[in-house]
Order: sequence, then C-alpha cells, then structure tokens
Amino acid sequence: MAKDSWIALGCEGSANKLGIGVIRHTSSNETTILSNLRHTFVSPPGTGFLPKDTAAHHRAHFPQLALRALKEAGCSIADVDVICFTQGPGMGAPLSSVAVAARTLSLLWDKPLVGVNHCVGHIEMGRTITGADNPVVLYVSGGNSQVIAYAEQRYRIFGETLDIAVGNCLDRFARTLKISNDPAPGYNIEQLAKKGNILLDLPYTVKGMDCSFSGILASADALAATMDKGGFTPEDLCFTLQETVFAMLVEITERAMAHVGSNQVLIVGGVGSNERLQQMMGEMARERGGSVFATDERFCIDNGIMIAHAGLLAYRTGYRTELKDTMCTQRFRTDEVFVKWRD
Amino acid sequence: MSHDTMATATDPDFPCSLSIDVPLPTQRLAKTALQALQVDKELSALVRRDLSIAEGDAQSPALLHVEYSATTNRMLRVAVNGFMESLKLVVEVMETLDVDVLEPGSNTNATS
Repeated sequence: MAKDSWIALGCEGSANKLGIGVIRHTSSNETTILSNLRHTFVSPPGTGFLPKDTAAHHRAHFPQLALRALKEAGCSIADVDVICFTQGPGMGAPLSSVAVAARTLSLLWDKPLVGVNHCVGHIEMGRTITGADNPVVLYVSGGNSQVIAYAEQRYRIFGETLDIAVGNCLDRFARTLKISNDPAPGYNIEQLAKKGNILLDLPYTVKGMDCSFSGILASADALAATMDKGGFTPEDLCFTLQETVFAMLVEITERAMAHVGSNQVLIVGGVGSNERLQQMMGEMARERGGSVFATDERFCIDNGIMIAHAGLLAYRTGYRTELKDTMCTQRFRTDEVFVKWRD
Repeated sequence: MSHDTMATATDPDFPCSLSIDVPLPTQRLAKTALQALQVDKELSALVRRDLSIAEGDAQSPALLHVEYSATTNRMLRVAVNGFMESLKLVVEVMETLDVDVLEPGSNTNATS
C-alpha cells in the first residue's frame, strides 16, 4: 500500500528563537500543523544576543520543548518519518547546538535527517500559509534581507543587503535607545514609531537591486546622540527609521517585480510581521494591480514548523542528509538549494 | 570503534591533554553519543579531539572515551568545556526522548 501521509519534526535555532514543530503532509498536498512551539532568548535592553549564550539557551530548552511538541502533536515515534533541522544560514554555535540534538534524536529513534536552508523554510511556509502561487518574496529578518524570485528549481536572489540585514539595523538601533528586547526589539520599535510624527533626515541607500543599511544605522545613532537638543523624540526617530528603510525595501521589491513580470509579493521573516511594512508594500502592489501576502507571527518569526515543512517537501523527493554531512554552516545561500519539489 | 583523529601518545606540539571516560548504560547509547558529537570538527586548529567507544566494567557497561590535546591549557579548557555542554545536551535528550522513555516497555537493548 503506497504511503499517503508523512510526518516531520522540525528544529530551528539559527538565531535567538528555538522552534520545534510537527507537520503532516498528505499525498494530495494537504498540510496540517500538528504543533508549533517556540522559546525565545531575550537579552536585556541595550544588549544583543551573543552566540555562546544563545546556544546555551537552546541546549537548555530543547529536550522539554521537543517533548511538548510531540505530545501536542499526539505523535508517537513510529509516526515520525523524518527529523529536519536548520543547517544554515545563521549563528554558528546556536545552529550546532540544535543540530547535535537533532542528530541524537535521529540515532535514538532510527529516523533519517534532512538539513534545511533557513531562508527556504521561510519561503515555503509563506507560500503554503498564504496560498500565494508564484510571488516575488521579500525575506527580511534580523539576519537576512533578500528579494527572491523562483526560476527553474532555484530560489534566485534578485536583490539583497550589501551589508547588514534590515532587522539587524532595527535591532541595533533599539539597543542605542535602550528599548526592551521583549518580545522583540523590532516589535517595540514598531509600537514607538506609531506615535512618531517628524520625518527626520536619514540617508536613503538603494543601490540598484540592492540596498545598504549600515550607514543608515550609523546616521540614526548619530541623530539619537543629539536628541536632547534636537527637538525630536525617540518615537520620531523610530518613525523616521522605519519609513526610510521600508521605503527602500518597497523600491527594490518593486524593481524585482518589474523584472520578472509579477504583481504578487510575499513578505516572510521576522520583519515581515511589521504592519507598517505590510501597509507600504500593499500600496505599491495595488498600484501595480497586485497584492501583498504576509503571515502572522506564528510563521513570520523563526519557527520549527517551517523547517519541518521545507524539510518534508525535500524528503518526499528523496532528499536525505547523511549524518556525516550534518555540519551547520553560517553561510548558506538561498540559491544553493535544488528545489526539486517544484516544477 | 571509530577514531576521528589519530590519537598520539604525546605530541610535543599539543602538550596539554585530558582524557575523559563517560560511562553510559549501554553500548547503543555510547555509540549514539559518539556519532552525534563527532560530526562537528573542533573549532580551533590548536585543539585535537579523539572519540572512541571502550568497554567498561559491570557498573558502567559502556564508555565514551574522549581524548583531548591542545597547544595550551587555556585552549584545552575552552574546548573541553564546550564538549561537556554538548555531551550534557545529548544525555538530556536521551533521558527525555529515548524510545523507552516515551514508550515504556520498548526494547532498546538491540545495538544498531
């Protein structure tokens, strides 16, 4: 009797979120989320999360989080077909800490492993949750900023940051203003920005299909240092920063859309949960007769279910990662993945 | 038995060394720990690590035998500390999620 449903356990830990999820696929391509749990390592205001501490956090929380994920999914070990884990890109020590745990499970349970590209996880989850058929994807997070379009079995990078990710720019500016990192610095910047009115002067650095954020961060930091005498508030600074960097993202996304002839945009990654970005992108897309797709924080923010999902898609095409090949890598380009599961 | 680097008696370039025998209840668990931990190479070229399985005694049936050597004591300490943290994770995953923990009554005595 041919197999008509599969279950994958997915483990994500490339940054400060430890995510573990269990997903089911059927042969008629139904996707069911059986559990999706996450625990976030939050560092004090004014600080960022360091690799060593983040890895320690993931190691400490993995066993119980995995146990809860299995219980919520109502799965037995026999039900699980494959264990998926984030192989990269991301921070070295956190990635490896989760990989060690995934390997251990694979050996104890005698199940195959699939290493997953974090960016592809975001893309596949976004496509499935929103139903967007073949959109231009804006992937924006604390670690990545890329404009991606699918062509001939690869997710091709059309534009990206030349230096730091847009989320990194926002997160580091939150440290300058000593904004809380709970639940996430970007979320708190968004709330402050809603109360800002004054659009201050920041550089606008789009370079063709790409953009750059490190200069904007330096300028924002310099502006913040003059706040006492400047006649503006932290809210104005947050508002200005968002308006500037989001306009840049809208521009490079639109450029890619014109290039490939698409009018659908899918925004994935933690920064994608920002409502102002969704609003600005939506205005641009509507002007082009299209629409913007976005997911909520369950899927936007790093999670284990997207790893299970992308991993299971690969597994069903016959893809496996041998134990000896399960080392993690901080640099793993989105277009390195052969997307065999699409035409 | 598997060695991921050549274990040497005393390499003069790596004079600081430490040997650890981790007792585990079964050969299967010792082999699992070895395979999970040996994939990642040591981060520093100044550190060498060798993992193998050794037979224990009646009290500790299986041993994960770890040989570390490094150019300085500081490198040795840093590397061994990191190893112990990973080992702790492996053991906790075994304690929380092994087949006989999740499904009491299962047989985990067969060595794979």
